[in-house]
Amino acid sequence: MSNISPEILQALQACVGESRVLTDPDSLALYGRDWTRAHAPAPSAVVLPGSIAEVQAVVELARARQLALVPSGGRTGLSGGAMACQGEIVVALDRLNRIEDFNPVDRTVRCGAGVVTAQLQAFAEEQGLFYPVDFASSGSSQIGGNISTNAGGIKVIRHGMTRDWVAGLKLVTGSGELLDLNRGLVKNNAGYDLRQLVIGAEGTLGIVVEATMQLARPPQNLTVMVLGVPDMAAVMQVLETWQGAMDLQAFEFFSELALQKVVAHQGLQRPFETPAAFYALLEFEQHTEADLDQAMALFEHCVEQGWVVDGVVSQSVAQAQALWRLREDISETISRWTPYKNDISTTIVRVPDFLAEVEAVVARAYPDFEIVWFGHIGDGNVHLNVLKPDELPMAEFQQRCGEVSRWVFEIVQRHEGSVSAEHGVGLLKKDYLHYSRSAAEIAIMKQIKQVFDPQGIMNPGKIFDL
Amino acid sequence: MKVLVAVKRVVDYNVKVRAKGDGSDVDLNNVKMAINPFCEIAVEEAVRLKEAGVATEVIAVSVGEKPCQEQIRTALALGADRGIHVEAEGRIEPLVIAKLLKGVVEKEQPQLVILGKQSIDGDNNQTGQMLGALTNMPQGTFASEIKVEGEKLNVVREVDGGLQTISLSLPAIVTTDLRLNEPRYASLPNIMKAKKKQLDVYSPADLGVEVTSHITLVRVEPPAERQAGIKVEDVAQLVDKLKNEAKVIS
Ligand SMILES: Cc1cc2nc3c(=O)[nH]c(=O)nc-3n(C[C@H](O)[C@H](O)[C@H](O)COP(=O)(O)OP(=O)(O)OC[C@H]3O[C@@H](n4cnc5c(N)ncnc54)[C@H](O)[C@@H]3O)c2cc1C
Ligand SMILES: Cc1cc2nc3c(=O)[nH]c(=O)nc-3n(C[C@H](O)[C@H](O)[C@H](O)COP(=O)(O)OP(=O)(O)OC[C@H]3O[C@@H](n4cnc5c(N)ncnc54)[C@H](O)[C@@H]3O)c2cc1C
Repeated sequence: MSNISPEILQALQACVGESRVLTDPDSLALYGRDWTRAHAPAPSAVVLPGSIAEVQAVVELARARQLALVPSGGRTGLSGGAMACQGEIVVALDRLNRIEDFNPVDRTVRCGAGVVTAQLQAFAEEQGLFYPVDFASSGSSQIGGNISTNAGGIKVIRHGMTRDWVAGLKLVTGSGELLDLNRGLVKNNAGYDLRQLVIGAEGTLGIVVEATMQLARPPQNLTVMVLGVPDMAAVMQVLETWQGAMDLQAFEFFSELALQKVVAHQGLQRPFETPAAFYALLEFEQHTEADLDQAMALFEHCVEQGWVVDGVVSQSVAQAQALWRLREDISETISRWTPYKNDISTTIVRVPDFLAEVEAVVARAYPDFEIVWFGHIGDGNVHLNVLKPDELPMAEFQQRCGEVSRWVFEIVQRHEGSVSAEHGVGLLKKDYLHYSRSAAEIAIMKQIKQVFDPQGIMNPGKIFDL
Repeated sequence: MKVLVAVKRVVDYNVKVRAKGDGSDVDLNNVKMAINPFCEIAVEEAVRLKEAGVATEVIAVSVGEKPCQEQIRTALALGADRGIHVEAEGRIEPLVIAKLLKGVVEKEQPQLVILGKQSIDGDNNQTGQMLGALTNMPQGTFASEIKVEGEKLNVVREVDGGLQTISLSLPAIVTTDLRLNEPRYASLPNIMKAKKKQLDVYSPADLGVEVTSHITLVRVEPPAERQAGIKVEDVAQLVDKLKNEAKVIS
């Protein structure tokens, strides 16, 4: 139930219009949470501004009345960044969903923060271009959310993170100013690049209201291979073999248990019957037959070395899509076991040792739990998912996972890795931030936060406590 | 039992096809090509018959220009034993393809010929039937299940509103429907083995067929753009629009 005072309710309604302020229990539960399930949502209201001016009006009101705001995009976040658990006001950007103008010379497009990622991808395709940031939730996530989490995904090995595609953005800061950062310029060395601070700030510096996104040439004839690999060390050998010879568009991996779950729950076909501990999914452009011959030669080499036991290659777009689903449907498939997710990374060269240590800890700590491994291994990023046994209460499960996380993060720290490779810190990882950021770094982050948001109204309690 | 499977090279069915600017044809420039999905099902069925010990040899045949050897190679990777390419230029009509296949049938004397019920480019749904007429072989079209029992082939057909089971004497012709099977992936080791499999090339003249044309493609145009949807305010407005604008209820 909302406990918002009638006076603030009225003031919010004055900012965005009466019908754009929601306080019914369903809306509060819906807009108050992201994809995570560790906390209960409890916002006091949801506002849906329809213009930048309305966003500014809401921020002004929040400043005047010292109200906490939670910016909200597609709420597919996996770190609790968009959770509103303490009576905050959710500012949902859904209505800023217009693609404003397309600039074919610069290959940029200006869009509202609420444009859905897939909408931008489709728009790019209509122009004969390509927006390369992609992942399983792109049908719901928003550009503002992607920017605020610096989302990665399945094409990072070739195209980088969201950061690499933001040519400009507009931000309403916690102090109510509207900043127009970088304005689509390729070159702009006139002082600090504040845009880069906003990317990945998880809504703690202000609200992203608009972005100018860069588009790319579309890839040609994408071909997908799925290879069966006996162990993690071999996965890395396969990666190195391919990286040395071809430009990969993607290099993903998943474990046998992940495959079993996806095949059983999504009605998909196994790529081949030969059992393997892990599977690598590779994607590359096939310009000519020579590219496929090259890939075949690499495959043969890997088989001879004992790094690969079997493999398939897509013969059509439909098969490429079906093979991708083996990887892309994992998150959704396992969500029914409310998994405890770790999204960890290190440099690629350190991945084998790092993973061997993590695997040992996990095997020791969770002999009775199902563990599903998958991730963007070509970027040094693995998702370690511990599935909750149905009979175990949530609180107990969280507590056991939390303890083991510390051991895992100690390994991350020793390997100079990251406790959050691409999902952000939000609420879920803030206790562990110090495993990958020094005290001095965190102190500067807090000072930056205070400059942008002196009253602490922007997504308070996320990333760190002040 | 020898099985002949026809495979056609067509535009990949996930590709959004575009008409050429002058409307003379579909634009195939730089477009991804693949095996016709129904032919893929035909290959899978033939390979399953072989794995079950029913078929002794599976031969994949394709009529078309040189690049259709890629699709024959795919069929070989999926498990066909050898390939036949009938090299013919340009847009070849179903009747000519059926005549060419008849030539191959006469050479190879298969007990069973499996084809797709239609190819997704021409959508003709003719070749299997024409081949049946030309060779005087019985046909089981739109098959969703086939089973060899002694000298007979039982075919379950998808007909309007239900299923029909027929029994054919061999040799026979089958055309595949979507639910006959789910084709496997081409495994990389099998793709490599396929490179070494035999692939014979014939010309129409080798088969005693003259390539003729009776159909002229007049024009190709894309479907009308769909109108954007709108949001209605309430049920009353919805009913009103369905009644008076869309005229789908009265
Ligand atoms: C099935 C599945 C697969 C996923 N795969 C990947 C993956 O491969 N790679 C990856 O990186 N992520 C992945 N994610 C996580 C998630 O989709 C991304 O983090 C995405 O970028 C979140 O976007 P969103 O619009 O849903 O943001 P939300 O969840 O709504 O918000 C995320 C954070 O950004 C803030 N925020 C949102 N909009 C704004 C705004 N306009 N201004 C300021 N702050 C804002 C929120 O306050 C919150 O802190 C996956 C999620 C799911 C459910
Ligand atoms: C003929 C010519 C052609 C040029 N062409 C280009 C060009 O095409 N593109 C281009 O971008 N630039 C160009 N420049 C400019 C210049 O070469 C670049 O800016 C170059 O990066 C400067 O490097 P530097 O080591 O000489 O820096 P300096 O001139 O020594 O310093 C530049 C700035 O960096 C600071 N600085 C230097 N070292 C450090 C450090 N270790 N830590 C912190 N701050 C530091 C200095 O305090 C100063 O503010 C050109 C210059 C010349 C003379």
